Amino acid sequence: MAALGYIEILDGKGGVSERIAVDGFPVTIGRAYGNQVILADPFVCPLHLKITQDEQGLLLASDLESVNGVYPALGNERVAQLELQSGSQFRIGHTLLRYVSVDHLLAPTLVDGAVKVSRLASPYAAVILGAILVLLLCLDAYLSSVERVTVAKIIGETWITVSMLATWAGMWALASRIVVSRFNFARHVTIACLALLTISALGVFAEWSEFFLPRVPMLWIAGVFGYGLVLAGLIYGHLGSASPLRRRSRLWTAAAISLVVVGTSAISDFAARSKFSTIMEYTGVLKPIDAAWVPATSVEEFVASSEKLKKDLDGLTKKAKALQ
Amino acid sequence: MNRLLATSALIFSWCAMLITPASHAQLVPGTTPEIFKQFSEHVVKIEVVETGSAAKASTGTGFFADATGRIVTNYHVISKLVHSPERYRIDVIDVAGGTTAATVLGVDAVYDLAILRTARQPKGHLVFESKPVAQGTRLYSLGHPRDLGLSIVEGTHNGLLKHTLYPKVHFTGSLNPGMSGGPTLTQAGNVVGINVATEGNQISFLVPAERAMVLLEKTAKGGTPPAASLLADVGRQIYDNQSRYLAGMFAAKTPRVILVPYDLPTRPTEFFRCWADALRRKDLPYVSVTHDCSTDDYIFVSSEQSSGIVRFYHQLLSTTELNPARFFTLYSGQFQGGNAAMFGNEEEVTPFRCQTRNIATAHGKLKGVLCARQYVKLPALYDAVFRVATLGSRNAGLVSTLSLSGVSFDNVQALSRRYMESIKWQH
Repeated sequence: MAALGYIEILDGKGGVSERIAVDGFPVTIGRAYGNQVILADPFVCPLHLKITQDEQGLLLASDLESVNGVYPALGNERVAQLELQSGSQFRIGHTLLRYVSVDHLLAPTLVDGAVKVSRLASPYAAVILGAILVLLLCLDAYLSSVERVTVAKIIGETWITVSMLATWAGMWALASRIVVSRFNFARHVTIACLALLTISALGVFAEWSEFFLPRVPMLWIAGVFGYGLVLAGLIYGHLGSASPLRRRSRLWTAAAISLVVVGTSAISDFAARSKFSTIMEYTGVLKPIDAAWVPATSVEEFVASSEKLKKDLDGLTKKAKALQ
Repeated sequence: MNRLLATSALIFSWCAMLITPASHAQLVPGTTPEIFKQFSEHVVKIEVVETGSAAKASTGTGFFADATGRIVTNYHVISKLVHSPERYRIDVIDVAGGTTAATVLGVDAVYDLAILRTARQPKGHLVFESKPVAQGTRLYSLGHPRDLGLSIVEGTHNGLLKHTLYPKVHFTGSLNPGMSGGPTLTQAGNVVGINVATEGNQISFLVPAERAMVLLEKTAKGGTPPAASLLADVGRQIYDNQSRYLAGMFAAKTPRVILVPYDLPTRPTEFFRCWADALRRKDLPYVSVTHDCSTDDYIFVSSEQSSGIVRFYHQLLSTTELNPARFFTLYSGQFQGGNAAMFGNEEEVTPFRCQTRNIATAHGKLKGVLCARQYVKLPALYDAVFRVATLGSRNAGLVSTLSLSGVSFDNVQALSRRYMESIKWQH
């Protein structure tokens, strides 16, 4: 006999976890094994609900005097009877159910929008980005060395970062395997590479801007806000392929983790700063560029702005005296 | 130069040594044993005692300078009491071993002198030499070296050094820690100077006796001032003294040194010593040439503070091998490195605060950073470090640092200004 419709058991996110064919009415739902739809929910009665069809073909779900009752999907008011149409949802015990008829109108088929993402998740993207990263790391190791360099030394330094990155991606891949049953290693490598490249670009930008305008503590700003954003992006990206979380939950999780990390480092930075030390803390980035391109203040302005330094010190002295 | 202060730690390390008993042979007038016998009773040991533990924190020497019982010693011997009067007291111990408490009547921090008073009337006192003393004159210094008991040290007068932060008598004789504040006498027993410092190998220094006479005169009237006013005096004296040695420093007349391609200031006054060196190693792809000038002398402020130290240090870096990006990694590193002061604690100084700017002087562009910290108890005084790096070249650069200790903020600004204007490019 062809099915008239289906009772669908829904999961917490609205997905269908089980589908039971309905060949005719009435249909009973409950924990007892004599029902057509058997639920393993301890809050559901052995004989909980009955769906009947009247002469006009109207479907009615009736509570069979259950302990915990029947509820419409949206609403907290217990009902004795509920009229069902194709697509109607209702709740018994802790289980969300939906009835659909066989001629239920379907949503149009989605065009596969994940094509772009999958391109990013392809092993080619990981290999290309990885290669770019390795080249940049080698260049950085070469440029930041002021002694004579050998290929072995450069590769050695680069290798440390590369292996740390691979370990990081591997750990996420393992988490993905456990949670969503797929490794997604290439995708995790791509995400980690992108984050590292963004941080490097941010670092270069901050150094140059601090060189040109030492008055703006760009290295500090980039260090706190820039790295915080990159960290949030990194976690958001990893969670995308390592968890079934929806976009909004991923966004909140990533923002929260990033805020905690950045907040902790900001607090420890503040604590270190308020602790007494004989170290002079300043940044003095120098860049090989024609002096004509460098904006500069006059000697007078430099001396005048040191008044602010004096004011700061007066404040510190007052504070120190108050403590003594 | 080491101030002749003996700390309690030193005393413990030396207490195992034996003191040779004094000879009791017949004394000939004018000989060392006779001088010792005749004048030692006017000399006292001074102990600064930490009241909480009743243990001595530092020791030195002093001598009775008039019939009322006023004692002359060094400021650095009793400076702990001036800075923290609530934690210390001064005990004066005479030759017979009698101990009396003393108060401070006045200090001269620049010349490192202090006048004390005890309740006890002395049996006698020393007098000051009024006539100039010729170079080569035999002198006798009395004091308590390393707390080993009163000792006499022979030496010679080698003239007055004028090219120091303040005039000092050059005494060729071995002064040791603990003798600070003791008198150095002529054969007739007149005080020529007050023991103050040593550089080892018999090179020692005395404060000229006139300075002690001036301070005795100043403190003749009036009683014991409160400790806060003594500390304020120290601040004022150091503040007022700066103009003597900082005026004109790095101005137009300052001698120049060429570190190609830069034209730089060197030895601004005679109390600076300058040294130069170069690092050229085959395994290094760059060359570093340094020129370092520093005052030899300083004014004692407290055990962790001193005034009058001026140091400047030019470092020229150049390369024919490194590309600009790599050379600037080195150059930036040098500009940002070595940025900690040697001394300082929370009670005495604030932490440093810095400002960095790109500066255009009349001669070219520099990156300059000025860091300063304030003395908490003497807020008119600051330590400052001003460092510049020349901009524009791709394979050479100069990092030059000026550090000042215990100066006013006006002087920090004036000297930083003159210093950056004195950095020139060769044409």
